[in-house]
Amino acid sequence: MATTPRIARPQASGKDAIANSVLAHQPRLLEAFRRLYGTLWSHGVLDHATKEVARLRNARVTGCNYCRNVRFAGARESGLSEDLVALIDDGFEHSPLNDRYKLVIRYADHFLRDPHGMSADLGAAMRRQFSGAEIVELTAGLALFMGFSKIAVVLGLEPASMPTTVVATPDWPA
Amino acid sequence: MTWIGETAAGTTLFDRVFNLRPNLYADYQRFASLFWSERLVDPVLLELCRLRIAQLLRCEAERCLRHAPARAAGLTEDKIAALPRWPADPQFSALERAGLAFAEKFVIDPHAITDDDAAAVTVHLSPAAMVAFTEALALFEGFARFQVLLGIGA
Repeated sequence: MATTPRIARPQASGKDAIANSVLAHQPRLLEAFRRLYGTLWSHGVLDHATKEVARLRNARVTGCNYCRNVRFAGARESGLSEDLVALIDDGFEHSPLNDRYKLVIRYADHFLRDPHGMSADLGAAMRRQFSGAEIVELTAGLALFMGFSKIAVVLGLEPASMPTTVVATPDWPA
Repeated sequence: MTWIGETAAGTTLFDRVFNLRPNLYADYQRFASLFWSERLVDPVLLELCRLRIAQLLRCEAERCLRHAPARAAGLTEDKIAALPRWPADPQFSALERAGLAFAEKFVIDPHAITDDDAAAVTVHLSPAAMVAFTEALALFEGFARFQVLLGIGA
């Protein structure tokens, strides 16, 4: 794991950690990404807590310390407590997590580890639990969560350690 | 055919599935198009890495796709056909080799990328180009997995 940035940061000019990171080398990409990520989180059809379960599962599987320790405020306000977050782990199947969150974790694990291997039963369970629009939003979220976790890993943007930190949900009205 | 059982309007199956969330798809397209329209990174390098990721993830829809800026910049079908043999094929430049090695590890195990692996790319790319390159890899991998899992591209 690299915890030293592999490229130099631009001069700090942003309002938050991402805007002051190496991603600011590409301001147009950063602006377009923020818009995309804000739409995913705050202008969608799927509840915040469900997306946060998927994001945190990715953080654990991909191994991104930053993503693992950040919490989005909207998900916390809708009931995803630290006690529940602690259950998004390898023993989740036998945990008190509800069936919806367990289904999301199974789905996320296929996305991250074996996208060709999802069973028809899991697909049917997803269709029973979610609309098509919700499935697309969840899967697009996984694509972005995984991709940007990996960017943090390969560019050395991860801190060696950090406390659990609640941040504003992207593009959520204050 | 996708298993989610419903689609929206669009030309390709990817369009029809992603358009179930039209504002999200529009913002995705806006983001993804910048890598090609703004030439933030050499389009041949981008296309080679996109296709290599599609091969690793067995995403047929992405394997069949070609981006015009890469073709206009000189990428041929012969070179694409040689992509699985890139470590030993002299057609691939030093930048392309370093970028493909980086892209493969990005997909398989990003924690295995060493400082030397990263330096082999950054010696050719500015910090801004390196940021664009890694964001492109993230997008290519994420949305190849999106297509495979949803039954669009497998």
